Formats: sequence, structure tokens, C-alpha cells
Amino acid sequence: MEIFVALGAVATDPILMLWVFAAAIIGMVVGAIPGLTASAAIAMLLPLTFYMEPLVALAFLYVIGKSGRYGGSIAAILFNTPGTAASAATQLDGYPLAQQGKASKAMKVATLSSVIGDYTGEILLIVGVGFIAAIALRLGPPELFAIYFAAFVVIGSVIGKSITRGLASAALGVLINMIGIDPISSEERFTFGSFDLTNGISLVPLMIGIFVLGEVFSQLEARGNKVEIVDESDADAKARNRLTWPEFRPCVPHVIRSSFIGSFIGVLPGMGSSIAAFVAYGEGKRRAKDADQWGTGALEGVAAQEAANNAVSGPSMAPLLTLGIPGSTIGAILVGVFLIHGIQIGPTLFITSRELVFNLFACGLIGIAMYGLVGYFGASFVGRFITKIPTDILYPIVFLTSFVAAYASRGNLFDVYVMVAAGFAGWLMKKYDFNAAAFVISFVLAGGAEETFRQSLLLSDAGLLIFVTRPVALAFLVIGIAALFFRARSLSAAAKEASLKDA
Amino acid sequence: MNTVTPSRRLGQGVVIGAVLIVISIAALVASFQIDKDPGGGWGARIFPLAGSGALSIVGLLELRSGQIASVNAPTKVNPSIWALLILALGYVWLISKIGYLLSTGLVAPLALWVFGIRRPIALLLAALLCPAIYHLVFFELLGVFPPYGKWFDLLDILQGY
Repeated sequence: MEIFVALGAVATDPILMLWVFAAAIIGMVVGAIPGLTASAAIAMLLPLTFYMEPLVALAFLYVIGKSGRYGGSIAAILFNTPGTAASAATQLDGYPLAQQGKASKAMKVATLSSVIGDYTGEILLIVGVGFIAAIALRLGPPELFAIYFAAFVVIGSVIGKSITRGLASAALGVLINMIGIDPISSEERFTFGSFDLTNGISLVPLMIGIFVLGEVFSQLEARGNKVEIVDESDADAKARNRLTWPEFRPCVPHVIRSSFIGSFIGVLPGMGSSIAAFVAYGEGKRRAKDADQWGTGALEGVAAQEAANNAVSGPSMAPLLTLGIPGSTIGAILVGVFLIHGIQIGPTLFITSRELVFNLFACGLIGIAMYGLVGYFGASFVGRFITKIPTDILYPIVFLTSFVAAYASRGNLFDVYVMVAAGFAGWLMKKYDFNAAAFVISFVLAGGAEETFRQSLLLSDAGLLIFVTRPVALAFLVIGIAALFFRARSLSAAAKEASLKDA
Repeated sequence: MNTVTPSRRLGQGVVIGAVLIVISIAALVASFQIDKDPGGGWGARIFPLAGSGALSIVGLLELRSGQIASVNAPTKVNPSIWALLILALGYVWLISKIGYLLSTGLVAPLALWVFGIRRPIALLLAALLCPAIYHLVFFELLGVFPPYGKWFDLLDILQGY
């Protein structure tokens, strides 16, 4: 019921609607630019939102995250370059369709599937988040620490190509978070006598460095790889690209299944869109009647992965809003926005800022409709617009913007040095298969994890055994270790298979 | 019979593992330098130690996997990356010395140059427009307090000081 009130409130606020519309466009364009992601756009625009009302700021960034996920499909279909990691699976069928002169049709299927997936995820979030928050309120520090532990391990080991480098990224994120003054004992940690370091490392310049400046370094290295759009300007292109119901009908079961797969994976911290997209694509192909057509230009392939990719968006907010655990890099950035506006995230958020949360959900629902409409009728135009953006000029502008954005967060030049260091580190991480998302999410989680760990020890008469004697805590510890074990086993099996093929 | 000649170059995993171990040792040393709690407890040290310990274990595993793998010599770094890094560090230093406007006016064309733009008009426009636009958006419209230069700042002159 509250969501209908919130929808009414948002729809009658023209300024808010304008920001949501702007976010839908910005996210789509940035997501479609190969190299730039929604995370980069959000990190760069974050300082601008410090001067906005909390709801406007959160809605603006939240909708950029949603439409940015969708925007990646435009690049995957038109340029054979996924705009985001999650849309890499779209490329498998989207680009062959574009080569057959059906790019617009593929983009229409991607848009419809994204919208249905996103709505499914968002509605499940709205329905389920209250229950999760109610359960979360009953969890004590040992259980919360065990959840943090599972999140660290899952985030570090499940995403990326290398478990060791993923876990190293998570450990580095924890260590960087420790810089500054210990909030409990006020002891200095890792400050090495520097006054600037006593304030700790701020999240905003770190994010801008990793996701924005790091990408500028990567793009500089990749300079010369020209993006070319598939031409579909012949006489019967319009007729060929008209999407009919008989064409979309076979996609519907895949869209529904993938939407639920994406929503389920989205709730798990750190799993993210790319895993959901590939799981849904694999599952769709397994169940498809014409599985051999997948990968050669099947509309169902585009539909399956796009629905899952966008269904992640809503449910990934559930651990953030209920436990304060960001499930994605976008969630990690939103933590910063909540904190800057003085809003404490976690289970009490639904008591202290219930109206804000439901208004944010309403903005999400409206934002989905907006990017859906713009995407359905204008995705080809967005694609053509992107090919006209000269990257040789775009990235120097992004480079300069990252400096002023990092400075604007606290008005401190030390933050700009942090941003430069983080940018170079972010580029190194990408180059050497480290996991920047695990680094950033662990950085955000470390404070809460340490607090709950030390509170647990204060509660305990038996020291560390408190984590084993409480069933919920033990269950999450086991989940973390099991995720690590299964991931190691699957990677080892994949390596063996590859070596057998080589032999 | 085929014989495998071991590579003389260190594998990427070995180098990365070694770097992680060095970082973890430095972090371990720094963790032990954190003062104990007033009550004598290790509270403030626990997480830094746990993080450093985890990093050293992961570093050892990476080192071991790098020794087993026979491929992946460290990849070469494009020289333009170093140019951009130096430009980035120099830019922050310049802001602190000569303020935002002048330093951005100097760095904007250099950034374009690094990305391969050579047209003098484009470089000149960047030198003039970038500082003006960023100044207007961030320091005028958003009201962020600008970073003043220690040696000299154009803003002082523009504002009549």
C-alpha cells in the first residue's frame, strides 16, 4: 500500500521526475559507452548529489544504476563490445542479430526483457525487504559478523578469474579501511605519523579513482581500438526490425525464468549482474528447444540474459537496506550517499526513514518505465550518438572531471592524491585480474565487520567460540567456506579440462 | 621426445605473489605497532592483523600457483600510462601551488595531448574552456570552496585582491 502512496508522491513532484528522467538517459548513454560503466558515472556524479535533497540524490544515482545496466546491451548488440561486464552474454546473440541487419529488433527484445526483469526484481524487493528487515532486527553482533564474513569470502572468491587475487583484493580493501583512528579505542592505525591519514581514507575519492580514473588509464592503453556500428540503413531495415508478438512470445518463458534467477542472485551480496546473466543464459540454453541456434542470433538468448541482468538491480538493494551490506559496487557507492545525508542504513532504516525508502522504490519503478520507453524507441539513436563521441576528447574530460569531483567531496587536496593512487591501483587491478568490486565492497564492509566482531567478543565468555555456538552465525560461516570450496573446485575442474584440451 | 625449457623470466603469479607477501609483511609490522587498548587488549590490532595475515596466506598461494604455471611473464606497460600518472600527480601538486584555474589551463591540453589530440585550436580551447567551465559548475554553481594556490592564484587577481 505504501508503494502506491509513494508512487503518487513521486509522480506529482516534477523536479524529482526530471531528475529521474535525466538519470534514465545518463545511465543509458554511459552504460552504452564501451569502457564506462554505471558505477563510473555514479562515482563521478556523486559529489554533485551532496547538494541535493536526500531522495533526489538517491533516486538519481539509483536510476542511473538501473539504466546503466540496460545501456550495456546497446554496446553489446551494436558494437560487439559489451558496455558492462554483465552484457557480455548479450553479445553472443545480439551481435550476430545485428550482423543480420536486425540490431533494432535485438535492442527491442533487450529493452522489453530488461524492463520485465527489472520490474520483477523491484517488486520482489518491495514485497520482501520489509520481511528481511524484520528478521535482520533480531540478529545480534555474532550473526551479523558471520554474514559479513560470508560476504567477504563470497565477494572475494566468486567474482573474477582468480580466487587468490579476488581474496587478496578483499584483504587489501579491509587493510585500507583500517587506516585512521580506531573508532572504539581511538588508537592510530597505519597512519605513519601523517595527519591526513588520521581521518582515514574517504570512500568517494577511492571510488572515483578505482572506477573513473582507473578506466581512463585502461582506455589510454586500449587507444586505437575504434568502435564501429553495424550499418542497417538499407531500404527494408524498418520492416525487418519490426518486433511482432509471435517473435517475442517464445522469449517470454525465458524472460520470466531469468527474472527470478536474476532476483535470487541479486539478493546474494557481491554476486552481481554478470553472474546472473551467464547463469540465466546457460539455463535458458539448456532448456531451449533450438539450443543450437543460441549464439548465432537467437532472440531468446538476448531476452534470457537481459532479463536476469536487470532483475539483479532491485534485490541487490535488499542486503544494503536491511543489513548495511552493499551487494554491488553501486550499492557500495549508495552507502556513501546515505552516510553523507546522515541516514543510518541497516534494519532500523525501515523505522527511521520508511517514507524515504518507499519513495526511492517508487522512483525506481518510474525510472524503469522511463528508460524502457526511451530505449524501445531510441536505442539505435543512442548507439549512433555514441559512435559520434570522440573518445580522444571524452576521456581527457573524464580525467579532468575526476579531479574536481574528488576534491569537491570534502574540499581536501589529500583526497585528490588518494583518488590518483586509487586510479592507478584500479588500473593495475584490472590489468592483473584483481577484483576491484571485491576491493571496494570489502572496504565498505570492513568497518561494520570489525565493530560486530569486537562487540561479539565483548558479549562472549568463550571468546571466538561464540560464532560456533550460535546456529545462524555458524550457518553463515559454513556458507562462506562452502562457497570458497565449491568455487575452488569448479576452477580446478575448468583448468583440468583446459589442460586436457591443450594436450 | 619433447623437452620443456623452463622460462628464465619470472611468472606473473610469482611476481604478484611476492608483491602481496611484501605488502602483507609491511602491514603485519605496522599492525604490531598499533598501541594496545587502554585495558591491555588487542582490540584495535585484531582486524589489521587478520587482514595482513589473510593477505600473506593468499600471497603464498599466489606464489605457489605462479611457480606451477609455466606462462604469464609480467606484461609490459604502455609508456603513455606513466605519462598520464605523472601528469595526474603533477596536476594535484600544481593545484596546491598555483590554484585550480591556472593548473587546469595547463593540464587540460596536456591530457588531450596524451590521448593523441594534436590540433592547436583544440588544445588552446581546452586550456581556456576547461578551467572556466569546471570553475563555474563546481565553485560557483555548487559553491564548493576552491583550492587556492600557495605561491600564486589567478582567482586572487580576478576577485580583486
